[in-house]
Amino acid sequence: MGEAAAKAAGPARRRRPGRAGWPGTVTAGRLLRRAGGLPYWLAVAPMVARLPASLAYRVACRHGDWSFRYWAQKRSETVRNLRQVLGDELSLEEAERLTRELFRFRSCDLIDVMRLRGRAESLGRLVEIRGREHLDTALAEGKGAILCSAHFGSYQSAFSLLHASGFPLTTIGRWWWNYTPGLSPAERRFWDVAYARRVLRHRQRPSIEPWPGRVQVAMQAAAALRANEVVTICSDAAPLGADRSRSVEVPFLGRQARLLPGVVTLARLTGAPVLMVFVHRLADYRHQVLEISPPVPMDGETETAFGRCAAAMDTAIRTRPAHWFFWFETSDLSGLGLLPPAPPTRTAAVSPLIGR
Amino acid sequence: MEAVINDYISRELVQDATLLPLGNATPLLETGILDSLSLLRLVMFIQDQFGIAVDDLDLVPEHFASVDAICAYLRSRAVGTAGQAGGHG
Repeated sequence: MGEAAAKAAGPARRRRPGRAGWPGTVTAGRLLRRAGGLPYWLAVAPMVARLPASLAYRVACRHGDWSFRYWAQKRSETVRNLRQVLGDELSLEEAERLTRELFRFRSCDLIDVMRLRGRAESLGRLVEIRGREHLDTALAEGKGAILCSAHFGSYQSAFSLLHASGFPLTTIGRWWWNYTPGLSPAERRFWDVAYARRVLRHRQRPSIEPWPGRVQVAMQAAAALRANEVVTICSDAAPLGADRSRSVEVPFLGRQARLLPGVVTLARLTGAPVLMVFVHRLADYRHQVLEISPPVPMDGETETAFGRCAAAMDTAIRTRPAHWFFWFETSDLSGLGLLPPAPPTRTAAVSPLIGR
Repeated sequence: MEAVINDYISRELVQDATLLPLGNATPLLETGILDSLSLLRLVMFIQDQFGIAVDDLDLVPEHFASVDAICAYLRSRAVGTAGQAGGHG
């Protein structure tokens, strides 16, 4: 969960002036985006999510298209990021198509969250879980299981769905709004109520939020694993400054990226197996597939073992690039070492659908 | 106890050799010697070595700020455990 980027659900607060895309349409564009942000979160999405799925996700896609059209700055940034990382073999047309998909997916992800109400049956009917037997087998060993994923697809809803389907699950990750400077208490409260509350209803324990100085994080995760529960980690987040010395360089998206191999260390200390999990949306936008892998071997040097996790994330992202959130935010890609350092800007974090 | 813990931290957890030799009063958190995962390793070592289980609620920075602080905390745990045992005995 994280401080991150802005997604197609639309901005919930004022963005930096003068960064919208089209000359002469700055004010209009900003007004349109703002008009589509908060109301969508507060009123439209909760109501739309109660419609029949085919209709609900169609509306979400229209909202994604609308954001794609009027949020020109974020659209052009995303297209640029895709082409810079994936290379020029990605044509401009293809990059724009992927960007539109990204906006649509983020909008659909919000509907997923809204469909977690009750026992999450209305979302559960739309998501096929593959590899459930791997998780059952892992938990039969009695040491818990670590699910390693990326900020990919509707992962928060997928984790909630796994919990609702019978796996006691806790997430390691940060809610970005708890740590982003400059947010008002009202904004933080908004994200707590509009987003976190819905997701956390389907978690075994409160989220374990890592942050420099918060030394109890691994112990909390170990306690969950000792109780034979499931712990999830998204391992594609850029290390924070204080953690950079503990990061390792691994091949990732065609470059050497700096990532934190905490999942490997935690697995080795606790004996819990690591399984990769990714969720992706099908072409009709409403159905999804959640795939759980067999355990990843943890032998070898830390870089070697973690490299297997990074390779799995790499494959998932390359196979379905429009599912990866980090294309939206240059600073995220820079932090990973995939792009040159970006000039500092105040993060336009307007959706919690990105987390770390 | 100080020597055993200092030795373990120096051997297993210190990544920056310029921090060695490690003093018992050296800040472990500010210097980055201890982070979340290395603390987990240390706690597991303490449990194995001294048979003292560290309660989750005791995982506060004050108890792990230095080797001296760790030992003071462990001694208080040992005294508390002995006191409880005596009370029940």
